[in-house]
Amino acid sequence: MPIDPAKDETINGYLTNGLKAVNAQLPRSRKTLSQLLTEANPHVLLNDGTEHHFRKKELHSIAQLITEDEQSRLLLPIILEVQSEAGDIVIHTKTTIETKMLSIIVGMPLEVHHHILRIFRPQVTVLRSALKTTTQYVFRP
Amino acid sequence: MATKIQIARPTKMELARLKKRLKLALRIQKIVKDRLSILVMEFIQTIKESARLRRRLHEEMALAHTSFSLTAGYHGYEPLKKELLSVETALKIRAESRNVAGVKIPMFEDAQDKAPYDEQRNPLDYSSHMEHTQTLARHCLETLVELAELQKSLDLLGIEINKVKRINNALEYVVIPSLDITIKYLNMKFEERDREEAARLKRVKLLIEQREAYAY
Repeated sequence: MPIDPAKDETINGYLTNGLKAVNAQLPRSRKTLSQLLTEANPHVLLNDGTEHHFRKKELHSIAQLITEDEQSRLLLPIILEVQSEAGDIVIHTKTTIETKMLSIIVGMPLEVHHHILRIFRPQVTVLRSALKTTTQYVFRP
Repeated sequence: MATKIQIARPTKMELARLKKRLKLALRIQKIVKDRLSILVMEFIQTIKESARLRRRLHEEMALAHTSFSLTAGYHGYEPLKKELLSVETALKIRAESRNVAGVKIPMFEDAQDKAPYDEQRNPLDYSSHMEHTQTLARHCLETLVELAELQKSLDLLGIEINKVKRINNALEYVVIPSLDITIKYLNMKFEERDREEAARLKRVKLLIEQREAYAY
């Protein structure tokens, strides 16, 4: 079920122009953190028909970093866009929740420019080791 | 080795089609390279975590073994064995899956009840030594489950890296050069045809001029 239509449009953007096959691991729709916390078996359905499960420990650790209101607005999994030209990872965000959360995880201040949060490769390693199930890669040439 | 693609008829339409295919192949190669770099990054990260976890498991195993020896010394092997048999339960693990850049990786979580033995224990035969050993053994088990997940992830990521590498090599050394060669061949063919056409026109023009000169 779509939680935020605008965000699902973002996902749909990655599935056009022949990119559907390479980005089949994207979720059909994302769920909010508060919704996932209430589920006994937190998961999302992917475009290839399989399920992506979230680790409960990870969800609880994220919940500790943000407020309850932010928990109901944070959509998971967080989409990490891999850009080949720049060589780093980009997150498209309209809220500051991701920025706040990721700054704490990587241990340094991050800034959003024009709704784009740029993360460098060494920071991605730190981020991925902390958020293994709550982040998802997407490829755009 | 890159060879020319077999084409039925060397036409402009075929050339346009090949150019489109080359553009698509280059685009796919870019994505494949990105995916490869991400998979390698994840693989290295998993190796590091696996090594860290393996060290932790060795330490925990050593502690658990020492504690077990102490408990066996305190209670004696037979009473300890009897107590352990009475609290024996099946191992419960929650097995699910997660997706890393298109690779389906298993996710194991310990689903064991945290204190399942309390009701079955005989308070007379039980001691703090036994409880301590039990806690250490539980830690070992948790680490072992985590390690199993990482080992399986390593296997799957390794297989996927090999597959992606093969695709990348096929694109880089076969598909793209073949398309390049065929496009060059077609371009040369069209240039040759143009040159032939120009020469023919010149010849026809000369013949017409000669015919007109004889007529007068």
